[in-house]
Amino acid sequence: MGQGTGFDRRRMLKAGGALAAGAGLAGAAGCSGSGASAGGGGSAGAKDKGRITVWSWQGPAAELKALTPEFNKRYPDIQVTVEDIGNPAIWDKITTGLAAGGQGLADVLHIGVDYLPGYVEKFPGGLADLGPLGATAHKDAFAPGLWETVAPTGKKVNALPWEANSGGFWYRADLFEKAGVDAEAIQTWDDAVVAGKQLKAKTGAFLIGLDKPASQADAANFFQMLLQLQGTFYFDPEGRITLGSPEAVRAMTLIKTLNDAGLVCDLAGGWNALMSALKKGTAAVHPMPTWFGGIIEEQVPDEAGKWKVRLPPAVRRGGSTAATVNSTHLAVAGSSKHQAAAWSFVEFVLTRPASQVRIYREKGIAPALMSAYGDAVFHEPSAFFSGQKRGEIFLAALKAPQPAFHYTADYARALKLVTDAQSKVLLKGADPAAVLKEAADQLARQTGRKAVR
Amino acid sequence: MTAATPAGPAAPAAPRAARPPAAPVRPAAARRRARRRPAPYLFVLPALLLFGAFKLYPIGSSFVLSLHRTEGGTQTFIGAGNYERLLDDPLFWTALKNTAVILAVQVPVMLALATGLAVALNSRLLYGRSVFRLGFFLPMVTGLVAYGIVFSVLLNKDYGLANWLLARVGAGPVPWLTHPLWAQISLGLALTWHYTGYNAVILLARLQSVPAELYDAAAVDGAGGWRTFLHVTLPGLRPVLLLTAVLSTIGTLQLFDEPYVLTGGGPDNATLTIGVYLYQNAFKYFDFGYASAIAYALAVLIGILGLIQFRVLGEKE
Repeated sequence: MGQGTGFDRRRMLKAGGALAAGAGLAGAAGCSGSGASAGGGGSAGAKDKGRITVWSWQGPAAELKALTPEFNKRYPDIQVTVEDIGNPAIWDKITTGLAAGGQGLADVLHIGVDYLPGYVEKFPGGLADLGPLGATAHKDAFAPGLWETVAPTGKKVNALPWEANSGGFWYRADLFEKAGVDAEAIQTWDDAVVAGKQLKAKTGAFLIGLDKPASQADAANFFQMLLQLQGTFYFDPEGRITLGSPEAVRAMTLIKTLNDAGLVCDLAGGWNALMSALKKGTAAVHPMPTWFGGIIEEQVPDEAGKWKVRLPPAVRRGGSTAATVNSTHLAVAGSSKHQAAAWSFVEFVLTRPASQVRIYREKGIAPALMSAYGDAVFHEPSAFFSGQKRGEIFLAALKAPQPAFHYTADYARALKLVTDAQSKVLLKGADPAAVLKEAADQLARQTGRKAVR
Repeated sequence: MTAATPAGPAAPAAPRAARPPAAPVRPAAARRRARRRPAPYLFVLPALLLFGAFKLYPIGSSFVLSLHRTEGGTQTFIGAGNYERLLDDPLFWTALKNTAVILAVQVPVMLALATGLAVALNSRLLYGRSVFRLGFFLPMVTGLVAYGIVFSVLLNKDYGLANWLLARVGAGPVPWLTHPLWAQISLGLALTWHYTGYNAVILLARLQSVPAELYDAAAVDGAGGWRTFLHVTLPGLRPVLLLTAVLSTIGTLQLFDEPYVLTGGGPDNATLTIGVYLYQNAFKYFDFGYASAIAYALAVLIGILGLIQFRVLGEKE
């Protein structure tokens, strides 16, 4: 009131301030810059000399550190620093490094299959071509399908495979016994639904758990495994969208059936909820990959002898029970000044069976390197898992022929739409075919890719 | 703003003081001489350079980026393509809708609370006023991510304090962060906790400058407490209410930290804000062009909403 004449100018200033505040945010997106000229500018350097930094996370990082003294026996003049960046923090850190043209990136980067194609496609030159450094010699050393993942065009080798995880079916044998269900006799997921009902009635345990509101991006792992068991994925080899395919609808319908039958407990909150369900025995089955065995042993040591593992049931009768659900890799930054030395480290860790055996023994990380499986550690009976030879169970899966799954640079966007679709099905009872079609159409509009059925 | 000062009559006044006062200089000549003097420009140069490098350049380059699409590492000019995509993107509209809901529900509730709080904190009947003022302002001091994490722990469905307390009185566990509607409510609660005290303090400052005579006059006229509030306090607060409304609107439109930490935008995009969607596009999908387009759409939106608020809430000419 009565502010009189000064108001017009102030009004202008404030409105200007409003615009500037908005534009400030616009700038925030702008400063991330383009990925057009990411990386490059590095050089090979000497193969046996230099100072290299390695980025990884938690368990794998600890193992890389532990391998360094042995590495230095062969390469005394390469100084290795392993940094545990943490997961998922490492993805943002690599992304910003690549977007900044390789500034501040480590020499060796540990990268998951979900991020590798995006980095390669969006930041050309961000990762060094390992082919000229000697990677091509190891082309046939890894589990089927993985070479296509690291060298999709057959020309440039973007990384070398480290761990290869197959889908598993970790179950509480004691609960199954109590319910009078023979877990090994379950052939398909439809059988599992029947078994799950009996299990719930007799023991009160849920069959599986899912992160229903998708609090974390990996909430769709189960759906994804059901696709991979059918040999399909979010994209086909040509990069077209297959989210609306009959296989995808079958997978999502199965999830709905399980949920509607009251066989799925809610793991809202992601990892912590999963761990708490594991400890409380809320779910009798954890349809998790190879590495989950190590987690079970670590989290519920008292339950030795109560657990067993098998490969997941097939989606259709007579279908495959083997799926390499994910893999991780070591890559060398394109900006690295010591690419040859970095490669020496990568080669030492990933292509030498002794290195991989040690890592498996310590942390249960399953190698992609097939020659490592000659070691006795993969063929010993496990006391914890009721005397089963779990190494051999997963080895069989790894050897099974299967396609390379085409993640594409748009995987993150696809994953987001898939988890949204799954939440709609689990929380709101939506129709699987409808939400998947919607997701496929939306992905097509956003990426310019074609959606096929 | 400061660039205009050298041309003003005040600038040459100081050096001229040493000269004999007898020689009056024509204003035009003074202005010309001031213009030739480099000192003022040198003084503002560092600020200008920093502003240019860290604000102007990114803002400009972001606009250029918003006209491009990155494919296979090459930038292709696509004109308004990203903006067309935006109009056709249901997630962008979801984010807008969520933001609109917060604007329509949370902001008015918060401002009403803040006004009530300001009046209460201004009351002479209240003992230990400064303690209360400090108490209500303190949430503002906590870092955005820090309080987001605290809320996510408090509201955890299985082991959060909120559900534990509810269980004491026999109420069932509330899916605070995992049910679409509850997640929106939780977000609103967190925002209200953080910003109400801040707005109350701004309003309080204004309240203290409302002349006491007006209240005396109202009392003489026989106005009760409610009438006094309606006809003296509220009109007195009007300019500052406008300010807090505009600030809250801008803050809501840019909302990022709270939903990112609390819910990640979920479940099923119930708490997706434009800020979170922008982040996802830039740093999860590496789609910097599209993210820039979102940022520009947001800037325009903030500008328009700001102008509307000035029109509606601003004083009549």
